[in-house]
This record gives sequence, structure tokens and C-alpha cells, in this order.
Amino acid sequence: MALLEMRGIRKSFSGVPVLKGVDLTVSEGEIHALLGENGAGKSTLMNILTGTIPFDGGEIKFEEQELKNISVKLSEKLGIAFVHQELNLFNDLKVFENIYINREITGLFGKLNKKEMIRRSEDLFRRLGVKMDPTAMVSDLRTGDKQLLEISKALLAGAKLLILDEPTTSLNNDEVEHLFSIVSDLKKKGISFIFISHKMPEIFKYCDTYTVFRNGEYIGSGKIADTTPEGVTRLMVGHSEDAGSYVKRETGETVLNLTHMSGKGFRDVSMEVKRGEIVGLTGLQGCGSSEFMQCLFGITPKTAGKIEVFGKEYKGGSVHRAMKVGIGLLPANRKENSVIPDMSILENMYLAEHTLSAGKFHLNKTKELKKYDSFQELLNIKAESGNMPIVSLSGGNQQKVFIARWLNTDAEILLFDNPTQGIDVGAKEEIYKLIHTLAMKGKTILVNTLEIPELQKVADRCVVFYGGSIAGELTHDEIDEHTVMMYSTGLANDKESKEVV
Amino acid sequence: MSTAKNKSNILGKIWSNYSFIFVFFMIFLVYAMTNSSLSLSATMNIFRHSAVIGITAIGMGLVCITGEIDLSAGSMLAFVSGFSVIVFNKTGGNIFAVLAFALLMGAALGIINGVLVGVVRMPSFIVTLATMLIYRSLAQYYCQHIAKELIGGGSSVYKMTSSFNGYDAMYNFGNGKIASLPIVGLVLILVTIIFMYITNDTKFGKKIYAIGSCEKGAFMAGINVRLMKMTAFVIMGIMIGASAFLWICMNGSSDPATTGTSYEMYAIAAVVLGGVSMSGGKGKIIGVLFGSLSYTVIDKIIIALKMDSLINNAIKGVILILVILIQVAGPQLKERIKMLSVPALSDKDEAVYDTKVKVN
Repeated sequence: MALLEMRGIRKSFSGVPVLKGVDLTVSEGEIHALLGENGAGKSTLMNILTGTIPFDGGEIKFEEQELKNISVKLSEKLGIAFVHQELNLFNDLKVFENIYINREITGLFGKLNKKEMIRRSEDLFRRLGVKMDPTAMVSDLRTGDKQLLEISKALLAGAKLLILDEPTTSLNNDEVEHLFSIVSDLKKKGISFIFISHKMPEIFKYCDTYTVFRNGEYIGSGKIADTTPEGVTRLMVGHSEDAGSYVKRETGETVLNLTHMSGKGFRDVSMEVKRGEIVGLTGLQGCGSSEFMQCLFGITPKTAGKIEVFGKEYKGGSVHRAMKVGIGLLPANRKENSVIPDMSILENMYLAEHTLSAGKFHLNKTKELKKYDSFQELLNIKAESGNMPIVSLSGGNQQKVFIARWLNTDAEILLFDNPTQGIDVGAKEEIYKLIHTLAMKGKTILVNTLEIPELQKVADRCVVFYGGSIAGELTHDEIDEHTVMMYSTGLANDKESKEVV
Repeated sequence: MSTAKNKSNILGKIWSNYSFIFVFFMIFLVYAMTNSSLSLSATMNIFRHSAVIGITAIGMGLVCITGEIDLSAGSMLAFVSGFSVIVFNKTGGNIFAVLAFALLMGAALGIINGVLVGVVRMPSFIVTLATMLIYRSLAQYYCQHIAKELIGGGSSVYKMTSSFNGYDAMYNFGNGKIASLPIVGLVLILVTIIFMYITNDTKFGKKIYAIGSCEKGAFMAGINVRLMKMTAFVIMGIMIGASAFLWICMNGSSDPATTGTSYEMYAIAAVVLGGVSMSGGKGKIIGVLFGSLSYTVIDKIIIALKMDSLINNAIKGVILILVILIQVAGPQLKERIKMLSVPALSDKDEAVYDTKVKVN
């Protein structure tokens, strides 16, 4: 019997359709994999189901009961629970306090009945087969246990359908195993799961059925037993897009040489990059490519290996040192990491250069404005003047200002971490062109992105990360969604290792 | 209609950027009305009485722009001024030794705050709360436990020995006038100009604002956030050293129990009144000057009205609340009115949805 039936769900944000009539059916007592690339609409649908955002059209039935409007309260009451990627637990409270938060068992004068809560928590854990001390601090738990705590908490509230949003990203293999042994037990008791993940091996090991979305459209569904990882990947990716404006260029001498470099979140990265080359880095969320960039820029220390910049060894570990050898980083999350909101465009652009020329104390504003004007022309920044506040610019133009920030320091090696995040389509194209122009002028550029079409447009070659290390390297012509997906979900390697065995 | 709207926008902008000037002139107007015989010298005296608190507040302003706070200012003033008196008495009235000592000791005490806040990354509220207790306690302790001739013979006050030949020079510096403008007032104006230059026209100043506005972003642009924060505290210490020097020049003594009590609070109030955001990144040094002048004028109004000076702080507190109320409640009120007049989703709301989609 179908526990949940969603038919023709539509949703637009400010006129842009995000869900174009998608279907999803989940039966009682099954693990249903919801698949699709970043931006396919999975999370939007889940947010509709849990009542966080309203839907424009379509039909939702839960236990044969039609739902017109879903509120967060109603979805909780029906027994739908969302176990978020970022866990919604209170780290400074104990396990049982987290379970009973806002529904505490109290006695006379509102005094907490801790004994009863602890006893019931123990009971719950015993029933679920979870080994956890209710009086432990949540901050001391491992990520896997936190996940189990979230699930237990939802089940205590009477959840019948649990949504697990990439629960295994930060778990090791044993923890994954443990998580799924409990999930499988619950499945036998009639609890259903919607499982959102990018990791094919897991999906094929544990899930019963699947549904695939692409660009907000329903593509297909079926039994996992009837398909193959390659088949599912093909459904997720669809036809590969037009390669676009890529032009092959001559490259120069080696400017960056990494040998067995390791750091926080990645390990054993070796690569050689030539002047004027554009190297794409990619992988799934948390694969280590972003961490690698941060380490190269000196934000986190390097724990092993060697970095050579222009033939000279560079030890890293300090942003200032990275800037001095000619490295610049355009970080991800522009709002948090780049924008100085109280300052003007000019001040934002010059901030990095000022740290290199701190010896010259005085600001020459006319000279700076002149230099800004030349960058404005080169990068096509659409702003009235450099004295306008940075927050008055659109995302794309802000990003150009931050590219100017590094050009202004004469950085030769530019690291772009997710450079088109939160930027509209037209501005994206401009950024791609800019990357090309800069490479043509002899800058060496590393672009980290999760979007494969982006790589096809700019990258000379592409390094795919999986689980913190390099899973494979593709030349420009080899880059397509299917191949990259195979490497970044660990499928390609699994196969290779099997072949070796 | 659009021009009218523009006009109100410009007025709103001027108010939010320069409210400190309006506030000062409003308070000054009240003073002028209550004091029928207002003379030029009385007006200029405002600068004299603002000198110590003004210079302290300017240092505080710099610290606040980085997003931190210094509660130890008043105690530090007592500590440094007391020990400067000792140096005066010990060197037989060497003015330059006293000045150099005051500035250096201020810098040293500033380094203690700065290292703990900037480098070790302890919360500045806690660190400077602790040093506030420490500095005043030390000032009071040594006053009781040091050779009597070093504190000018008294028992509970650090007193400069008036028979030393440097005494008159310092006294004249602290109480003299040049063309009806008090010399210490001139020092205040000079310090303000120097700090206006530092904050507006130097790379150092821009970095101070940047770390207060977005610490992570400043770090990502290569700014050494720890060093900058420490430097701000050291400069604050040097300003306290200068204030302490002015204090002993003006008064000839320093009482460790009362000198500078609550000065950190007055300084913070002046900083806030001057439009510096306590969360950092915003505000002007000239605003801090007007903020501290405003508070001095309030004192003078109460004297002119022959009221009990105990009501002083109540009035200062009320004015602070009123000014900040206008600053904080004004935009909120405007938003309310806007929301009532526009029933549909505003652009902003859609933008929020947009980002949500992208995150998903």
C-alpha cells in the first residue's frame, strides 16, 4: 500500500519553475532513494512535504488522506520527519534532554522528571537496538550516533516516514553499516524512508526503490533490483549539454607543482599545473576539493607533502605567505567570505593589496580610483562608481570586484572556489569568458565547481575528488556528466579495484 | 513624488550618518538657553572638560570599530596617572620622562588586553572586565604601600610635589589657554584630526573597519586579524596614557579610588552617541568627538540649572536611550509602514526564496 503519493507537484520561485509536475510514491516499509543532481528539485520537494514551503499545484496523499495545505505542525502530526544534513541537535544538552526537548515530562511545579525521561529513553534505544547512554552530552557523540539520535527522536514522536538527507556524508564505513542495520530493522516494522544520497554503492546496497528527478522534472522510478548504477546515472544526467565557448590555448612553464600534499579534509594530492592553464576540480559536496584550495591558500596548515610555486618551495600555513608567492583565492560563499558589507566597491577591491603594501601608510584615493577604472573596463563591472557601496551590486558584479581584488595583488595563480554560486545565468557566462581572458593573459586558474557544464565550458582538464583524494583526471574532451559522476560517486574506482582483484 | 521621496531619503541618510551633530547642537541649545550669560570662554571650556574623556573615547572608538570593547579604560587611567605621578616625584619633575612613561605604560597595559583578546582570542568583555578590576586594585594598593615621598606625602592620593620645577609648566599646560582655547582642548582636537586621518586615509584604518565589518572576509583578504585587534588595544592604551598625562597636568594629583571611575562607560556612551556601531565596522571618529562634547555639555547644563549633580547620570542615560531609540526604532517603523502599504511579496522576500532554491 502506498504510504505517500505525490502527483504532479509544481512549484515556482518568483516565476522560475523549480518543480514542473513531479511524482513520488513511497510504500509502507521501504527505503526509497530520491536521486538527482544538485538543483534537480529534491530538497524543494522535501521542504514541501514537511510544510516548510507551500506548493503551487498537484496532489498529495498521505495514508489515503488528501492534503491541501501542509504546515510544519501538520506534517509532524502525520508522522513525517526530516533528518537534516546539518543536524538539528543541541550540542550542549544531554541525549535525553534532546529527545524530550519541548515535550518534557514534568512533576509538581514544573519540576523535570529526569529519571522517567532517562528510563523512557533507555527503553526507546533498547527497542531500536541503538547503543547510547541517555545521559551523555550530545557534543561528545560521534556524527553517526547523532544521526541515530535524530532518528530515535523522530520515532518517539510517532514518525512513519523519515527523510534522510545525505546521512552518510560524514560517516565512516562502520558507522554507515550500523546506521543501515537499524534502518533495515525499522523497515521491517513498517517504517518508510526517503533516502537522498549521491553515493551509488550505498544506494544499491540498501535501497528498495528509486525515483529520479532532473531539472525539476520527473524522469523515472522503479525497483533498484531492476536497474544498474550506470542506468540510474544516465537517467540523472540526461543528454550532455553544449560544450559552449571553450577554446584551447597554449600553456607555458610549470608554475605549480604539488607532490603528495595532504591537509585537513584531503590527502595525497599530486598535480602539476602550467602557466595559462585552467584546471577544474570537482566532486560531490564534502569531497575535499574546497578544503584543498583553502590549504593551498594557507588558511589551513598542510600536514604532509610539498608545494612548489614557480619552482620554489612554499610551505603554506599563512594567507599572507600565499599572497606573497602570488596565489589568490576567490572563496565560496561570497557573502560570508568575501563581502565587507560596510565598505565601498573600491575599498573592497583594494583590501588585499593593502596588506601587501602596508608599509606605504597613506592612501592615494585618486590613484586607486584610476586603477579601479581600468579593472572596471577589463572585467566589465556594472557600477556607477567605485565609491558606491559593495552591497548595491548584483552577485555577479560583486564577484567581478573580488576577482579584481586578486588581479590587483598581481596574483599569478588564481583559485576560484565555486565562482558562480548564487549568480544568474547571464553573469555566469560572463564569468566563464573572464576566466578564459585571464588565462589567455597568462594567469593560471584552478576552478572548483560542482557543476559539470561549467567545467566543460572552461577547464582544460578536470581533477575529480572522491572522499578527500583524487579519484581520476579527465582531459577536456573526456569531461561529461556521466564520466564525472562515475568518478565522483566512487563507482569508477570500485570497478577498477574489482578488476584488479 | 519621486523627488519628495528622494529628499526624505537624503535627509534620512544625513540623520543616520550625522545624528551626533544634531544631538550636540540640540543639547548645546538647551545649555545656551539655561545659561543667560554664555560667554566664549565658557563655550571653549567645554573642550577643556571633554579632553580626558574625549581622548579615551577616541581610543575606545577604534576598539569598537574592530567589534571589541575595552572596559578597563577607567581603571587604566587611574593606574597610569597614579604611576606617572610617582615618576614625576621620583625624577624631580622631569616632564618628558613623565610623558614618555605615561604613554609607554598605557601601551604596555594595552598589550596585555590586546594579546588576550586578539591573539589568544578570549572575549574582550571578559578580559577587560578582569583587567578593570586588576588595574584599579593595583593603583589603590600601591598608593598605600609605597614610600610616602613618592606619592607627594599624602596617604590615599598620588600627589605631584608642587615644589619641583616641572610642576608649573605642567600645570600651565593643563590649565592654560591659547587665544581663549584651552591647551588640553587643542590636544583633543589634534588627536581627533590624527585619528580622522588614520581611519579615513590610511590602509591601517581600512583594515580596522574591515575586520569589524566582516572578520572572515577580512581574513580571507589576507588581513592579519589577530595583529590588527591587538594593535587597536595598544593604541587604546596609548590614548589612556595621553589622557592620564592630561589628567595630572590639569589636577596635579590622581586619586586611585575616584579617578576615571565609570569613564569606560562614559567613553562607550560617547562612542555610541557618535554613531559607532558596537558590532563593529561602522562609525566615524568625528562622531566620537561630538559624542563626548555632548556629555560635557549635559554636565554644564545641570550646573547652570543649579540642580543636584547626582541627577547627572540619569539624564545622560535617558539621552543615550532616546538617540539610540530613534536610530533603531526608526528604520523598523519605516519597514512596518512599507509592509502595510505593499501587500504583495516584496523583492527582498523573493530574493530570500531565490537563495533558498540555490542552496537546495
